[in-house]
Amino acid sequence: MPGPVVYPGIRDRLAQLHGNAERIDKLDGFNFRRFSAFLLGFSLALGLSGAQVWAKLEIDVGNPNFAPMPIAVPDFVSSQTGSPYGKEAADILRNDLSMTGLFRILQAAPADSAQLNGEPDFDAWGKIGVQALVKGTLQIHGDSIVVELRLYDVALKKMELGKRFSGRTGDLRLMLHRCGDRIMERLTGVPGCFSTQIAFVGSEKSREVFVMDYDGHNLQQVTRNGSINLFPEWAPDGSHLLFTSYLNGRPNLWLLALRTGQSRLLSARPGINASARYSPDGKLIALASSFQGIPKIFLITPQGNSIKRLTDGRGNDISPAWSPDQSTIAYVSDQAGTPNIYLVPAGGGQPRRLTFETTYNTDPDWSPTGDLLAFTSRIGGRFQICTVRTDGKDLRVLTQEGSNQSPAWSPDGRMIAFASKHKGVSRIYVMDRTGRIRIPVSPLPGKAPAWCRQPR
Amino acid sequence: MAVLVSLVGGCTRPIVKPTPSGPPPQPGFTGIPPQGQVAEQELQGVQTNLRVVYFEFDKYSLNAEARASLEHNAQMLKMSPHVKIIAEGHCDERGTDEYNLALGERRARSVVDFLVSLGIPAQNFSTVSYGSELPVDPAHNEAAWAKNRRVFLRVTR
Repeated sequence: MPGPVVYPGIRDRLAQLHGNAERIDKLDGFNFRRFSAFLLGFSLALGLSGAQVWAKLEIDVGNPNFAPMPIAVPDFVSSQTGSPYGKEAADILRNDLSMTGLFRILQAAPADSAQLNGEPDFDAWGKIGVQALVKGTLQIHGDSIVVELRLYDVALKKMELGKRFSGRTGDLRLMLHRCGDRIMERLTGVPGCFSTQIAFVGSEKSREVFVMDYDGHNLQQVTRNGSINLFPEWAPDGSHLLFTSYLNGRPNLWLLALRTGQSRLLSARPGINASARYSPDGKLIALASSFQGIPKIFLITPQGNSIKRLTDGRGNDISPAWSPDQSTIAYVSDQAGTPNIYLVPAGGGQPRRLTFETTYNTDPDWSPTGDLLAFTSRIGGRFQICTVRTDGKDLRVLTQEGSNQSPAWSPDGRMIAFASKHKGVSRIYVMDRTGRIRIPVSPLPGKAPAWCRQPR
Repeated sequence: MAVLVSLVGGCTRPIVKPTPSGPPPQPGFTGIPPQGQVAEQELQGVQTNLRVVYFEFDKYSLNAEARASLEHNAQMLKMSPHVKIIAEGHCDERGTDEYNLALGERRARSVVDFLVSLGIPAQNFSTVSYGSELPVDPAHNEAAWAKNRRVFLRVTR
């Protein structure tokens, strides 16, 4: 067994984060939903068209007539005149909200936006078409900072959400991401995931594992072994990364503890030890291993001990993906001649083929909502990210440009990270679940993204 | 042990006892070239004579050309029956990374199975798949892809 490898950078950073950015939610007492229901009843009683008013700041993602909500996030007002943080804070939040594909960010700003406190001029905001307004203030003392955030329904002239976060100026991005998470929760019922991280593998000369915020900031290199490292996978609690590494000359499975920076060998079975995926409860790992000859899907314990072989037959099987309820595992098999996606009960049983549309379908990743699988399909000689329902229907091709692979759902199911290759260079992109918004995020060439389930 | 190996392999070739690796080199002893060096030359000789095995797009089966290369390789390996062989499987960039790792492993496995059928003992082999991580030609054209879909046999002690 090799000795532990220590990567001090990430450890220092984690220690720093645990000490700061505590959340203070003093302003959060107002229940907008209950109040809206009250208003609705009140309006109906008066014979007003209250239903439309009530529906305004609820984003119904499932609605086929869905249109992005017009929202304004003016630069935050800072207690320090001339501080660059006011614009930076609003930029972070504007970018977060736009990435979901659910908002249209309006840039125009009425005169009142520079006021530190007090009611917004709702009529002025309404006149330029704003439905939701986010106003924020910053109080800066040395290197500590307090962020206050208010979300308003412009039509109702009401505050819907008030939050206060305190931390160090170095944690401004994290604080704003958390603001965004709460705005999403209030507007859609599901918290956002702007404060989560993505792990990936460098794709030029280096094949080291990196971790970054979902928007590409705060890049950290977490392995420095000089070897080929592949397919990172987060433990469900975000404390560890599994990855395949050739550190011992063979594709073995390693486990890296992010807090200590120590990594250890988890599976060195002969052949490949690849595409490891934790079960959602973290009690099992599905792994493709070829120690019995042909690559097959196995279940092992988090300590690396074998439990059972899940797949059989002549095909090469790889890339297991758990359903969120842990009942089923999707995987890739070429048993019918070319790689396609199959589903098998996690307890064992008869596999069922899911994809028939094209001849080459790989990289399944099950959406956190359970209803969709994202995967890679070879279409016209290039790879595109697709989604399909778990009954095999409603196939949608989400990407058109470049060659794209390795989709990874965000924990809220609203976004998909993937590796996108243009002119031979691969980068990590993030898109909304419909593929309308696609943004390159990794600051360096990379592939094999894995999206952490837990916020930072 | 050699007898057992031959029986298991179902092989009819003459039984050759593995050459003993010799005593461990003593610190500071420089009089005679250590035996390891001779073995190193032998390894290099075998390595130079082994042919790379190439594959068709998306395939792990062996075509006639691949089988001919492997028959040649089997003759070379039979002359040094004690060497170990790592079959390194590779793919071109026109597959997705994870599936390519499985495909590279299966290509290596196809090569090993065929060499075992030609009489090389199964326990002399191991496989390592690199998927599409280590192309010999990084260009994005058919000539490069054809070179990259390969199994390289690396001989070791």
